[in-house]
Amino acid sequence: MIIVIGAGPAGLAAAEAASRNGSEVALIDSASRLGGQYWRHRSTVTGYRSNRADLLFAKVKSAASITYISEATVWSIERDGELIRVNYLQGGSESSLTSEKLILATGAYDRSLPFPGWDQPGSMTPGAAQALLKGHGVLAGQSVVVAGTGPFLLPVATGLAQAGAKVVGLYEAHSPMRWLLSPQALLLNVSKFAELIYYAGLIRQYRIAPRFGRVVSRFDKGQVTITSVNSSFALKRKRAQTFEVDVVAVGWGFSPDLTLGGIVGCRERVDVDGTTIFKVDGDQLSSQKNVWIAGEATGIGGADLSLLEGEIAGLSASSQKISSHLRFARFRKQVFADALKRSYPVKDGWRSWAEKSTTICRCEEVSLGEIEESVAELGAEDSRTAKLFTRAGMGLCQGRICSRNVSEIVAGLTKCSVTDEERIASSNRPIAAPIALGLLGDGKK
Amino acid sequence: MSKQISFTFNGVAVQCEEGQSIAAAVINSGTLALRKTRFGEEPRSVFCGIGICFDCVVVVDGVANQRSCLIEAKADMDIESSS
Repeated sequence: MIIVIGAGPAGLAAAEAASRNGSEVALIDSASRLGGQYWRHRSTVTGYRSNRADLLFAKVKSAASITYISEATVWSIERDGELIRVNYLQGGSESSLTSEKLILATGAYDRSLPFPGWDQPGSMTPGAAQALLKGHGVLAGQSVVVAGTGPFLLPVATGLAQAGAKVVGLYEAHSPMRWLLSPQALLLNVSKFAELIYYAGLIRQYRIAPRFGRVVSRFDKGQVTITSVNSSFALKRKRAQTFEVDVVAVGWGFSPDLTLGGIVGCRERVDVDGTTIFKVDGDQLSSQKNVWIAGEATGIGGADLSLLEGEIAGLSASSQKISSHLRFARFRKQVFADALKRSYPVKDGWRSWAEKSTTICRCEEVSLGEIEESVAELGAEDSRTAKLFTRAGMGLCQGRICSRNVSEIVAGLTKCSVTDEERIASSNRPIAAPIALGLLGDGKK
Repeated sequence: MSKQISFTFNGVAVQCEEGQSIAAAVINSGTLALRKTRFGEEPRSVFCGIGICFDCVVVVDGVANQRSCLIEAKADMDIESSS
Protein backbone atom coordinates (compact mmCIF):
# COMPACT_ATOMS: atom_id res chain seq x y z
CA MET A 1 0.00 0.00 0.00
CA ILE A 2 1.02 3.61 -0.60
CA ILE A 3 -0.02 6.28 1.91
CA VAL A 4 -0.53 9.72 0.39
CA ILE A 5 -0.81 12.62 2.86
CA GLY A 6 -2.58 15.69 1.50
CA ALA A 7 -5.49 15.86 -0.95
CA GLY A 8 -4.61 19.08 -2.77
CA PRO A 9 -3.46 19.08 -6.42
CA ALA A 10 -0.19 17.17 -5.75
CA GLY A 11 -1.72 14.52 -3.47
CA LEU A 12 -4.72 13.93 -5.72
CA ALA A 13 -2.51 13.58 -8.78
CA ALA A 14 -0.22 11.19 -6.88
CA ALA A 15 -3.11 9.01 -5.67
CA GLU A 16 -4.72 8.91 -9.11
CA ALA A 17 -1.45 8.07 -10.89
CA ALA A 18 -0.55 5.32 -8.41
CA SER A 19 -3.99 3.75 -8.72
CA ARG A 20 -3.65 3.33 -12.51
CA ASN A 21 -1.94 -0.05 -12.13
CA GLY A 22 -4.23 -1.07 -9.29
CA SER A 23 -1.85 -0.15 -6.45
CA GLU A 24 -3.63 0.21 -3.11
CA VAL A 25 -3.60 3.85 -1.99
CA ALA A 26 -4.71 5.45 1.28
CA LEU A 27 -5.27 9.18 0.79
CA ILE A 28 -5.26 11.02 4.14
CA ASP A 29 -6.35 14.64 4.46
CA SER A 30 -7.30 16.96 7.32
CA ALA A 31 -10.18 18.65 5.51
CA SER A 32 -13.70 17.32 4.98
CA ARG A 33 -13.54 17.70 1.18
CA LEU A 34 -11.00 16.89 -1.54
CA GLY A 35 -9.04 19.72 -3.15
CA GLY A 36 -6.72 21.12 -0.48
CA GLN A 37 -6.32 24.88 -0.14
CA TYR A 38 -6.17 25.51 -3.90
CA TRP A 39 -9.44 23.79 -4.81
CA ARG A 40 -11.22 24.66 -1.59
CA HIS A 41 -14.96 24.63 -2.17
CA ARG A 42 -18.38 24.15 -0.59
CA SER A 43 -20.31 22.33 -3.33
CA THR A 44 -18.40 23.00 -6.56
CA VAL A 45 -14.92 24.27 -7.35
CA THR A 46 -14.93 27.67 -9.07
CA GLY A 47 -12.23 29.76 -10.71
CA TYR A 48 -9.70 29.40 -13.50
CA ARG A 49 -9.78 25.92 -15.12
CA SER A 50 -11.74 24.42 -12.22
CA ASN A 51 -12.85 21.57 -14.53
CA ARG A 52 -9.44 20.00 -13.86
CA ALA A 53 -10.45 19.59 -10.23
CA ASP A 54 -13.80 17.96 -11.08
CA LEU A 55 -12.06 15.42 -13.33
CA LEU A 56 -9.49 14.53 -10.71
CA PHE A 57 -12.08 14.33 -7.90
CA ALA A 58 -14.19 11.96 -10.02
CA LYS A 59 -11.21 9.72 -10.83
CA VAL A 60 -10.06 9.56 -7.20
CA LYS A 61 -13.57 8.87 -5.89
CA SER A 62 -14.29 6.15 -8.44
CA ALA A 63 -10.93 4.33 -8.21
CA ALA A 64 -11.55 1.06 -6.36
CA SER A 65 -7.98 0.91 -5.03
CA ILE A 66 -8.03 4.37 -3.37
CA THR A 67 -9.28 4.67 0.22
CA TYR A 68 -9.97 8.30 1.13
CA ILE A 69 -9.61 9.14 4.83
CA SER A 70 -10.93 12.66 5.43
CA GLU A 71 -10.86 14.93 8.51
CA ALA A 72 -7.75 13.14 9.74
CA THR A 73 -4.89 15.25 11.12
CA VAL A 74 -1.53 13.50 10.99
CA TRP A 75 0.39 14.39 14.15
CA SER A 76 3.41 12.11 13.84
CA ILE A 77 5.10 9.53 11.63
CA GLU A 78 7.34 6.75 12.92
CA ARG A 79 9.73 4.50 11.02
CA ASP A 80 10.27 0.94 12.08
CA GLY A 81 12.72 -0.65 9.66
CA GLU A 82 10.92 -0.94 6.32
CA LEU A 83 7.59 0.07 7.82
CA ILE A 84 6.27 3.60 8.07
CA ARG A 85 3.54 4.23 10.64
CA VAL A 86 1.38 7.34 10.19
CA ASN A 87 -0.42 8.42 13.38
CA TYR A 88 -3.47 10.61 12.99
CA LEU A 89 -6.33 12.13 14.94
CA GLN A 90 -9.82 11.66 13.58
CA GLY A 91 -13.09 12.48 15.30
CA GLY A 92 -11.44 12.90 18.70
CA SER A 93 -9.52 9.63 18.74
CA GLU A 94 -6.11 8.50 17.62
CA SER A 95 -5.54 5.91 14.90
CA SER A 96 -2.65 4.79 12.76
CA LEU A 97 -1.92 3.30 9.37
CA THR A 98 1.16 1.32 8.39
CA SER A 99 2.72 1.01 4.97
CA GLU A 100 6.05 0.64 3.21
CA LYS A 101 5.65 3.64 0.95
CA LEU A 102 4.72 7.23 1.68
CA ILE A 103 4.01 10.23 -0.54
CA LEU A 104 3.93 13.62 1.19
CA ALA A 105 1.94 16.40 -0.46
CA THR A 106 1.50 18.76 2.47
CA GLY A 107 1.31 22.02 0.52
CA ALA A 108 2.02 25.51 1.74
CA TYR A 109 0.52 28.47 3.58
CA ASP A 110 0.76 32.23 3.06
CA ARG A 111 3.97 33.91 4.09
CA SER A 112 3.38 36.98 6.25
CA LEU A 113 5.54 39.99 7.10
CA PRO A 114 4.97 42.17 10.17
CA PHE A 115 3.80 45.79 9.90
CA PRO A 116 2.13 47.97 12.54
CA GLY A 117 -1.38 46.57 13.05
CA TRP A 118 -0.91 43.25 11.22
CA ASP A 119 -2.16 41.53 14.38
CA GLN A 120 -5.42 43.47 14.58
CA PRO A 121 -8.74 41.83 13.67
CA GLY A 122 -9.42 42.58 10.01
CA SER A 123 -5.80 42.06 8.98
CA MET A 124 -5.43 38.61 7.50
CA THR A 125 -3.67 36.66 4.78
CA PRO A 126 -5.16 36.50 1.27
CA GLY A 127 -5.48 32.76 1.90
CA ALA A 128 -7.67 33.43 4.93
CA ALA A 129 -10.00 35.74 2.97
CA GLN A 130 -10.10 33.08 0.25
CA ALA A 131 -10.77 30.23 2.70
CA LEU A 132 -13.62 32.11 4.43
CA LEU A 133 -15.22 32.81 1.08
CA LYS A 134 -14.69 29.59 -0.86
CA GLY A 135 -14.91 27.21 2.07
CA HIS A 136 -17.67 28.86 4.07
CA GLY A 137 -19.40 31.39 1.83
CA VAL A 138 -18.50 34.27 4.15
CA LEU A 139 -17.04 37.65 3.16
CA ALA A 140 -14.44 38.75 5.73
CA GLY A 141 -15.61 42.35 5.22
CA GLN A 142 -17.60 44.55 2.85
CA SER A 143 -14.58 46.58 1.75
CA VAL A 144 -11.20 44.95 1.22
CA VAL A 145 -7.64 45.86 0.31
CA VAL A 146 -5.60 43.02 -1.24
CA ALA A 147 -1.85 43.55 -1.11
CA GLY A 148 1.58 41.94 -0.96
CA THR A 149 3.26 40.26 -3.87
CA GLY A 150 2.70 37.48 -6.37
CA PRO A 151 0.07 36.21 -8.78
CA PHE A 152 -2.10 34.73 -5.99
CA LEU A 153 -3.36 38.26 -5.24
CA LEU A 154 -5.31 38.17 -8.54
CA PRO A 155 -7.68 35.24 -7.83
CA VAL A 156 -8.21 36.53 -4.28
CA ALA A 157 -9.08 40.09 -5.34
CA THR A 158 -11.30 39.01 -8.22
CA GLY A 159 -12.95 36.24 -6.14
CA LEU A 160 -13.86 38.71 -3.39
CA ALA A 161 -15.22 41.18 -5.98
CA GLN A 162 -17.31 38.45 -7.64
CA ALA A 163 -18.80 37.60 -4.23
CA GLY A 164 -19.89 41.21 -3.75
CA ALA A 165 -17.06 42.78 -1.75
CA LYS A 166 -15.81 46.23 -2.67
CA VAL A 167 -12.13 45.71 -3.55
CA VAL A 168 -10.90 49.19 -2.68
CA GLY A 169 -7.35 48.50 -3.78
CA LEU A 170 -5.05 45.84 -5.20
CA TYR A 171 -1.43 46.67 -4.39
CA GLU A 172 1.49 44.68 -5.79
CA ALA A 173 4.82 45.63 -4.21
CA HIS A 174 6.85 44.86 -7.33
CA SER A 175 6.84 46.24 -10.85
CA PRO A 176 5.38 43.90 -13.51
CA MET A 177 8.47 44.77 -15.57
CA ARG A 178 10.39 42.22 -13.48
CA TRP A 179 8.92 39.56 -15.77
CA LEU A 180 11.29 40.85 -18.46
CA LEU A 181 14.04 39.18 -16.42
CA SER A 182 12.63 35.77 -17.42
CA PRO A 183 11.70 35.75 -21.13
CA GLN A 184 12.42 32.01 -21.44
CA ALA A 185 9.83 31.19 -18.78
CA LEU A 186 7.13 33.04 -20.70
CA LEU A 187 8.09 31.40 -23.99
CA LEU A 188 7.94 27.94 -22.43
CA ASN A 189 4.55 28.66 -20.82
CA VAL A 190 2.46 30.56 -23.34
CA SER A 191 -0.69 29.10 -21.76
CA LYS A 192 -0.04 31.42 -18.79
CA PHE A 193 -1.05 34.36 -20.99
CA ALA A 194 -4.55 32.91 -21.21
CA GLU A 195 -4.70 32.88 -17.41
CA LEU A 196 -3.50 36.49 -17.26
CA ILE A 197 -6.13 37.54 -19.81
CA TYR A 198 -8.80 35.71 -17.76
CA TYR A 199 -7.91 37.73 -14.63
CA ALA A 200 -7.41 40.99 -16.55
CA GLY A 201 -10.99 40.61 -17.80
CA LEU A 202 -12.33 40.18 -14.28
CA ILE A 203 -10.26 43.11 -12.98
CA ARG A 204 -11.77 45.34 -15.66
CA GLN A 205 -15.28 43.99 -15.08
CA TYR A 206 -15.19 44.77 -11.36
CA ARG A 207 -13.33 48.06 -11.84
CA ILE A 208 -10.41 47.05 -9.63
CA ALA A 209 -7.43 49.37 -10.10
CA PRO A 210 -4.18 47.45 -9.60
CA ARG A 211 -1.31 49.63 -8.42
CA PHE A 212 2.36 48.63 -8.34
CA GLY A 213 5.24 49.51 -6.02
CA ARG A 214 2.96 50.00 -2.99
CA VAL A 215 2.50 48.15 0.30
CA VAL A 216 0.18 48.19 3.30
CA SER A 217 2.43 49.91 5.84
CA ARG A 218 -0.11 50.29 8.67
CA PHE A 219 -3.56 49.09 9.72
CA ASP A 220 -5.22 50.68 12.71
CA LYS A 221 -8.85 50.07 13.66
CA GLY A 222 -10.16 50.14 10.13
CA GLN A 223 -7.70 52.75 8.80
CA VAL A 224 -5.20 51.43 6.28
CA THR A 225 -2.08 53.27 5.16
CA ILE A 226 -0.67 52.51 1.72
CA THR A 227 2.93 53.60 1.11
CA SER A 228 5.12 53.51 -1.99
CA VAL A 229 8.27 51.40 -1.75
CA ASN A 230 11.47 51.27 -3.74
CA SER A 231 12.69 48.05 -5.35
CA SER A 232 14.25 46.97 -2.01
CA PHE A 233 10.93 47.47 -0.18
CA ALA A 234 12.13 50.54 1.76
CA LEU A 235 9.18 52.85 2.43
CA LYS A 236 8.99 56.25 0.73
CA ARG A 237 7.18 57.78 3.69
CA LYS A 238 6.28 61.00 1.91
CA ARG A 239 4.19 59.00 -0.53
CA ALA A 240 1.49 57.55 1.69
CA GLN A 241 -2.29 57.63 1.74
CA THR A 242 -4.71 56.57 4.47
CA PHE A 243 -8.33 55.51 4.09
CA GLU A 244 -10.99 53.34 5.71
CA VAL A 245 -11.41 49.66 4.94
CA ASP A 246 -12.85 46.60 6.73
CA VAL A 247 -10.21 44.07 5.79
CA VAL A 248 -6.62 44.09 4.60
CA ALA A 249 -5.54 40.79 3.03
CA VAL A 250 -1.75 40.86 2.75
CA GLY A 251 0.47 37.99 1.58
CA TRP A 252 4.10 37.61 0.54
CA GLY A 253 4.15 34.36 -1.36
CA PHE A 254 4.09 31.02 0.42
CA SER A 255 5.89 28.97 3.03
CA PRO A 256 5.86 25.22 2.44
CA ASP A 257 4.58 23.01 5.24
CA LEU A 258 7.69 20.95 6.02
CA THR A 259 6.62 19.45 9.32
CA LEU A 260 5.87 15.85 8.33
CA GLY A 261 8.85 15.40 6.01
CA GLY A 262 11.05 16.86 8.74
CA ILE A 263 9.72 14.30 11.22
CA VAL A 264 10.54 11.46 8.78
CA GLY A 265 14.06 12.87 8.39
CA CYS A 266 13.87 13.92 4.74
CA ARG A 267 16.79 16.15 3.87
CA GLU A 268 16.01 19.82 3.32
CA ARG A 269 17.75 22.52 1.32
CA VAL A 270 17.39 26.27 0.96
CA ASP A 271 15.86 27.49 -2.29
CA VAL A 272 17.19 30.54 -4.20
CA ASP A 273 14.66 32.77 -2.45
CA GLY A 274 15.62 31.64 1.06
CA THR A 275 12.68 29.27 1.45
CA THR A 276 13.47 25.93 3.09
CA ILE A 277 12.26 23.06 0.88
CA PHE A 278 12.88 19.33 0.52
CA LYS A 279 15.60 17.88 -1.65
CA VAL A 280 14.11 15.36 -4.10
CA ASP A 281 15.45 13.50 -7.14
CA GLY A 282 13.96 13.38 -10.65
CA ASP A 283 11.33 10.87 -9.47
CA GLN A 284 10.33 13.13 -6.53
CA LEU A 285 12.02 10.64 -4.16
CA SER A 286 13.32 12.27 -0.96
CA SER A 287 16.55 11.42 0.87
CA GLN A 288 14.56 8.81 2.85
CA LYS A 289 13.95 5.40 1.32
CA ASN A 290 10.40 4.97 -0.02
CA VAL A 291 9.33 8.51 0.88
CA TRP A 292 8.35 10.69 -2.08
CA ILE A 293 7.48 14.39 -1.80
CA ALA A 294 5.45 16.39 -4.33
CA GLY A 295 4.07 19.88 -4.63
CA GLU A 296 4.93 23.08 -2.77
CA ALA A 297 7.13 21.36 -0.16
CA THR A 298 9.74 20.74 -2.88
CA GLY A 299 9.68 24.38 -4.03
CA ILE A 300 6.84 26.86 -4.44
CA GLY A 301 5.55 26.61 -7.99
CA GLY A 302 1.75 26.62 -8.02
CA ALA A 303 -0.90 24.06 -8.88
CA ASP A 304 0.28 23.28 -12.43
CA LEU A 305 3.69 22.16 -11.19
CA SER A 306 2.18 20.38 -8.16
CA LEU A 307 -0.08 18.28 -10.39
CA LEU A 308 2.89 17.12 -12.50
CA GLU A 309 5.10 16.43 -9.48
CA GLY A 310 2.28 14.49 -7.85
CA GLU A 311 1.75 12.41 -10.98
CA ILE A 312 5.47 11.60 -11.20
CA ALA A 313 5.63 10.70 -7.49
CA GLY A 314 2.57 8.46 -7.82
CA LEU A 315 3.95 6.68 -10.89
CA SER A 316 7.36 6.20 -9.27
CA ALA A 317 5.93 4.90 -5.98
CA SER A 318 3.80 2.36 -7.87
CA SER A 319 6.73 1.31 -10.13
CA GLN A 320 5.15 2.59 -13.34
CA LYS A 321 6.99 4.16 -16.24
CA ILE A 322 7.44 7.93 -16.22
CA SER A 323 7.39 9.29 -19.78
CA SER A 324 9.92 11.84 -20.98
CA HIS A 325 6.95 13.95 -22.07
CA LEU A 326 5.81 14.17 -18.44
CA ARG A 327 9.31 15.03 -17.26
CA PHE A 328 9.56 17.82 -19.85
CA ALA A 329 6.17 19.21 -18.81
CA ARG A 330 7.48 19.40 -15.22
CA PHE A 331 10.68 21.08 -16.44
CA ARG A 332 8.66 23.81 -18.20
CA LYS A 333 6.68 24.51 -15.03
CA GLN A 334 9.88 24.53 -12.97
CA VAL A 335 11.29 27.21 -15.26
CA PHE A 336 8.08 29.18 -14.66
CA ALA A 337 8.38 28.65 -10.90
CA ASP A 338 11.95 30.02 -11.01
CA ALA A 339 10.65 33.06 -12.89
CA LEU A 340 8.02 33.58 -10.18
CA LYS A 341 10.78 33.68 -7.58
CA ARG A 342 12.72 36.16 -9.72
CA SER A 343 9.66 38.35 -10.36
CA TYR A 344 8.23 38.43 -6.82
CA PRO A 345 11.13 38.24 -4.33
CA VAL A 346 10.61 39.42 -0.76
CA LYS A 347 13.22 42.14 -0.30
CA ASP A 348 14.99 42.97 2.97
CA GLY A 349 13.46 46.44 3.20
CA TRP A 350 10.42 44.91 4.96
CA ARG A 351 12.48 44.85 8.16
CA SER A 352 12.07 48.61 8.43
CA TRP A 353 8.24 48.51 8.36
CA ALA A 354 7.74 47.38 11.97
CA GLU A 355 8.00 49.82 14.87
CA LYS A 356 9.40 48.99 18.33
CA SER A 357 5.90 48.20 19.61
CA THR A 358 4.93 46.07 16.58
CA THR A 359 4.24 42.43 17.41
CA ILE A 360 6.61 40.05 15.64
CA CYS A 361 5.64 36.75 17.30
CA ARG A 362 1.85 36.75 17.38
CA CYS A 363 1.47 33.74 19.70
CA GLU A 364 3.79 34.90 22.47
CA GLU A 365 3.19 38.62 21.84
CA VAL A 366 6.86 39.48 21.37
CA SER A 367 7.51 42.95 19.97
CA LEU A 368 10.30 44.14 17.70
CA GLY A 369 11.61 46.19 20.66
CA GLU A 370 12.00 43.03 22.78
CA ILE A 371 13.89 41.25 19.99
CA GLU A 372 16.15 44.28 19.52
CA GLU A 373 16.79 44.31 23.26
CA SER A 374 17.71 40.61 23.28
CA VAL A 375 20.39 41.39 20.71
CA ALA A 376 21.62 44.77 22.00
CA GLU A 377 21.37 44.23 25.77
CA LEU A 378 21.46 40.47 26.25
CA GLY A 379 23.94 39.67 23.51
CA ALA A 380 21.88 37.27 21.38
CA GLU A 381 23.86 36.63 18.20
CA ASP A 382 21.46 34.32 16.39
CA SER A 383 17.72 33.75 16.20
CA ARG A 384 17.88 30.66 18.44
CA THR A 385 19.33 32.66 21.32
CA ALA A 386 16.94 35.56 20.69
CA LYS A 387 14.09 33.04 20.76
CA LEU A 388 15.23 31.63 24.12
CA PHE A 389 15.42 35.14 25.60
CA THR A 390 12.11 36.40 24.22
CA ARG A 391 9.99 33.25 23.53
CA ALA A 392 9.51 34.44 19.92
CA GLY A 393 8.49 31.36 17.91
CA MET A 394 7.69 29.24 20.96
CA GLY A 395 3.91 29.59 20.96
CA LEU A 396 1.08 27.43 19.66
CA CYS A 397 1.97 27.82 15.99
CA GLN A 398 5.51 26.59 16.73
CA GLY A 399 7.07 29.45 14.80
CA ARG A 400 5.31 28.70 11.52
CA ILE A 401 4.35 32.35 11.11
CA CYS A 402 7.31 34.21 12.65
CA SER A 403 10.44 32.04 12.77
CA ARG A 404 11.74 33.03 9.35
CA ASN A 405 11.00 36.69 10.07
CA VAL A 406 12.73 36.50 13.47
CA SER A 407 15.83 34.90 11.88
CA GLU A 408 15.97 37.64 9.27
CA ILE A 409 15.38 40.44 11.80
CA VAL A 410 18.15 39.13 14.09
CA ALA A 411 20.48 38.74 11.10
CA GLY A 412 19.77 42.34 10.16
CA LEU A 413 20.50 43.54 13.72
CA THR A 414 23.74 41.56 13.97
CA LYS A 415 24.73 42.57 10.44
CA CYS A 416 25.08 39.04 9.11
CA SER A 417 22.97 36.82 6.89
CA VAL A 418 20.85 33.86 7.93
CA THR A 419 22.77 30.62 7.36
CA ASP A 420 21.19 27.68 5.56
CA GLU A 421 21.63 25.59 8.74
CA GLU A 422 19.63 28.18 10.69
CA ARG A 423 16.87 28.29 8.07
CA ILE A 424 16.59 24.50 8.07
CA ALA A 425 16.73 24.18 11.87
CA SER A 426 13.93 26.70 12.34
CA SER A 427 11.70 24.72 9.94
CA ASN A 428 11.77 21.48 11.92
CA ARG A 429 9.13 20.62 14.51
CA PRO A 430 8.95 17.33 16.45
CA ILE A 431 5.15 17.17 16.58
CA ALA A 432 2.91 18.21 13.70
CA ALA A 433 -0.31 19.07 15.53
CA PRO A 434 -1.19 19.57 19.20
CA ILE A 435 -2.37 16.36 20.85
CA ALA A 436 -3.68 15.84 24.37
CA LEU A 437 -1.60 13.51 26.53
CA GLY A 438 -4.77 11.67 27.53
CA LEU A 439 -5.54 10.83 23.90
CA LEU A 440 -2.03 9.52 23.44
CA GLY A 441 -2.56 7.18 26.36
CA ASP A 442 -6.02 6.01 25.24
CA GLY A 443 -5.29 5.68 21.53
CA LYS A 444 -5.34 2.31 19.84
CA LYS A 445 -2.13 1.19 18.30
CA MET B 1 -30.07 26.51 1.00
CA SER B 2 -28.56 24.29 3.62
CA LYS B 3 -29.87 23.67 7.11
CA GLN B 4 -29.67 26.52 9.63
CA ILE B 5 -28.25 25.81 13.08
CA SER B 6 -27.60 27.90 16.14
CA PHE B 7 -24.86 27.97 18.79
CA THR B 8 -23.69 30.46 21.41
CA PHE B 9 -20.56 32.62 21.27
CA ASN B 10 -19.76 34.25 24.63
CA GLY B 11 -23.39 33.64 25.60
CA VAL B 12 -24.90 35.27 22.50
CA ALA B 13 -26.83 33.13 19.99
CA VAL B 14 -25.25 32.87 16.51
CA GLN B 15 -27.16 31.47 13.52
CA CYS B 16 -25.27 29.83 10.68
CA GLU B 17 -25.49 27.28 7.91
CA GLU B 18 -24.54 23.71 8.69
CA GLY B 19 -20.97 23.05 7.57
CA GLN B 20 -19.60 26.53 8.25
CA SER B 21 -16.63 26.87 10.59
CA ILE B 22 -17.11 28.52 13.98
CA ALA B 23 -14.91 31.44 12.85
CA ALA B 24 -16.82 31.93 9.58
CA ALA B 25 -20.16 31.87 11.43
CA VAL B 26 -19.07 34.38 14.08
CA ILE B 27 -17.52 36.72 11.49
CA ASN B 28 -20.65 36.47 9.34
CA SER B 29 -22.74 37.45 12.37
CA GLY B 30 -20.84 40.75 12.46
CA THR B 31 -18.26 40.06 15.18
CA LEU B 32 -14.67 40.11 13.95
CA ALA B 33 -12.71 39.68 17.21
CA LEU B 34 -12.71 36.07 18.41
CA ARG B 35 -10.57 36.37 21.54
CA LYS B 36 -8.20 38.59 23.50
CA THR B 37 -4.51 37.80 23.93
CA ARG B 38 -3.14 36.49 27.25
CA PHE B 39 -0.69 39.30 28.05
CA GLY B 40 -1.70 42.43 26.16
CA GLU B 41 -5.44 41.62 26.05
CA GLU B 42 -5.39 42.65 22.41
CA PRO B 43 -8.29 41.50 20.22
CA ARG B 44 -7.50 38.83 17.62
CA SER B 45 -9.42 37.23 14.79
CA VAL B 46 -8.83 34.84 11.91
CA PHE B 47 -5.37 35.42 10.42
CA CYS B 48 -4.26 32.46 8.27
CA GLY B 49 -7.70 30.90 7.98
CA ILE B 50 -6.31 27.39 7.43
CA GLY B 51 -5.22 26.14 10.85
CA ILE B 52 -1.57 27.21 10.78
CA CYS B 53 -1.37 30.32 12.98
CA PHE B 54 -3.58 29.43 15.99
CA ASP B 55 -4.68 33.06 16.30
CA CYS B 56 -8.39 32.20 16.16
CA VAL B 57 -8.34 29.72 19.05
CA VAL B 58 -11.46 29.57 21.24
CA VAL B 59 -12.89 27.34 23.94
CA VAL B 60 -15.30 24.81 22.42
CA ASP B 61 -17.62 23.14 24.95
CA GLY B 62 -14.99 23.62 27.64
CA VAL B 63 -12.01 22.45 25.56
CA ALA B 64 -9.45 25.25 25.17
CA ASN B 65 -7.17 26.17 22.24
CA GLN B 66 -9.46 24.91 19.49
CA ARG B 67 -8.89 26.47 16.06
CA SER B 68 -12.21 28.06 15.18
CA CYS B 69 -11.25 28.35 11.49
CA LEU B 70 -11.12 24.55 11.22
CA ILE B 71 -13.88 23.34 13.53
CA GLU B 72 -17.34 23.07 12.04
CA ALA B 73 -20.07 24.79 14.01
CA LYS B 74 -22.55 22.27 15.45
CA ALA B 75 -25.99 22.98 16.87
CA ASP B 76 -25.97 24.05 20.54
CA MET B 77 -22.18 24.31 20.82
CA ASP B 78 -21.02 26.56 23.63
CA ILE B 79 -18.13 28.72 22.38
CA GLU B 80 -16.21 31.07 24.65
CA SER B 81 -13.33 33.41 23.83
CA SER B 82 -11.44 32.20 26.90
CA SER B 83 -12.01 29.80 29.77
